[in-house]
Amino acid sequence: MRYYSYFPGCSLEATAVAYGLSTQAITGALDMELIELEDWNCCGSTPYGSTNELESLCIAARNLALAEKTGLDLVTPCSSCYTTLNRANSQLREYPDLKGKVDECLATAGLEYKGTVKIRHLFEVIFNDTGLKTIESKVMNPLTGLRVAPYYGCQLVRPEPSFDNQQNPQSLDRLIASLGAEPVPFPLKDRCCGGSLIIPELDLALGLIHQLLESAGSNGAQCIVTVCPLCQTNLDAYQGMVNSKFGTSYNLPILFFTQLLGVALGIELQGLGLDKGVISAEKVLAPSVTMAEPAT
Amino acid sequence: MGTKAYLMVKMEMSYARDGHTDGMKELKAMPEIETVEPVSGDYDFVIAATVDAPVRVASVASEIRAKEWVKNLDVLKVEPAAPNPFLDEVCSTPGGECVRWCVQCGMCSASCPNVGKMDYSPRKIIALIRAGRRYDVLTSNSMWVCASCYLCTVRCPKDVKPTELMHALERLSFHHGLRHGATSTPAMYNAFVNSINNNGRVHELGLMSKFYLKTNPLAALKMIPIGLKLLSRGRMPLKPRKIRGINQLKTIIEKANVLGGAQ
Repeated sequence: MRYYSYFPGCSLEATAVAYGLSTQAITGALDMELIELEDWNCCGSTPYGSTNELESLCIAARNLALAEKTGLDLVTPCSSCYTTLNRANSQLREYPDLKGKVDECLATAGLEYKGTVKIRHLFEVIFNDTGLKTIESKVMNPLTGLRVAPYYGCQLVRPEPSFDNQQNPQSLDRLIASLGAEPVPFPLKDRCCGGSLIIPELDLALGLIHQLLESAGSNGAQCIVTVCPLCQTNLDAYQGMVNSKFGTSYNLPILFFTQLLGVALGIELQGLGLDKGVISAEKVLAPSVTMAEPAT
Repeated sequence: MGTKAYLMVKMEMSYARDGHTDGMKELKAMPEIETVEPVSGDYDFVIAATVDAPVRVASVASEIRAKEWVKNLDVLKVEPAAPNPFLDEVCSTPGGECVRWCVQCGMCSASCPNVGKMDYSPRKIIALIRAGRRYDVLTSNSMWVCASCYLCTVRCPKDVKPTELMHALERLSFHHGLRHGATSTPAMYNAFVNSINNNGRVHELGLMSKFYLKTNPLAALKMIPIGLKLLSRGRMPLKPRKIRGINQLKTIIEKANVLGGAQ
């Protein structure tokens, strides 16, 4: 059993509630335990860092200080939290004067951050620590014949070089294949969905989402799998709006990789939050789900 | 700050007869060189070049000397370049330090998914900063439509980190109270930050309502169908969730406010 400190992030309490449910549902089967960081606060994301540097580093550092006490790696399923917390870590290393000020601010609240926390993305943890071999051996319902577009988004592989290619990543493709499904070619797999610009720059973001759906759909994908709560919401909840704006008729379910894993591992379906999607995944998962029934 | 250098170049005899125009073109193509004046007498050209630091004068000079048509080169004068306070300000903001390294290759602009919506492409933004065009840069919409996809950052051959630069410009624009009229991203960022400062976590429904009330209440109508779909699936909690340590967080933020500093 491997233990991690767990930082769900704000989206997992709201638009991406299915991501949180499916994450917790699969950890047992993968021999890992995620211990939620007590009383964590928002990482600050891009908006805070674009408003005030010192304050944004301080609020990220509160989480890092809390996490440091646990002595465990801090794991987050959200790509934005992952990038933001990592950025705070590297800013604190690179700017000693900022670090000094952040220390002072934390001290007023009785906290201290030495800078030792390692921040990891849930997908990377499952890919590297659990590993595809173990996953393959645990597959109860191979997703044979299911054509899946692997959507990495931006902030899993960028900006810091980590575990996969930064412009043509392969890890999610391989995970999908290990579940018996077929990863389809998806040229825009690492391109932007618009992120939080969906609110202030709706038309711009709809254009980006349209391109992504086109790229996945034209390559025969039956669904798109993502590792990021923002990507899921943008592609799922706004798909109807894209259809009316561009005269298209996409009906592509957008699943979290944890949901796909859960189905393949034979986890009880109710716990995977499959009913949370605006675009229902029922039809495309039907063959695997029927097979899954006896196992549950 | 930068350094301005005046260099004098003498051509090889064999080129001097009809190689003047080509020589001048070649010199003008160097990014550091501002002007090339043909002169008569002991030298053929007088060059004015601006570089980041005095030490770079030597490398520009040796680059010119290495051209086969250059017979000799002498340095006439080296002096501090005209001050560019905006460039200095950007360079002293975390994330903005690297603009001096840019070679204007345009890879950032070619990689940007949102460049079509920008007043100035990322490459142009950097050129404008180096030209000291503070107002044009800080009132443009360019940084506000950056989605932080970091494609420019991983592709930049000089490690300029344009994404970080865009965030630095957003902070400078906030700090100086300058706004671009046609983008509502700053209003969204403000609502986002307020949501965190009040609750410790982001409450999406609260954030969206505040944002639409501030910017365009009618546009909110368009969003109602999506909101209802999310609501019916339990993806849009009505109430914010306050963290227990909200007072601790507020203490930290207040202290940061006092210490101020880096925007």
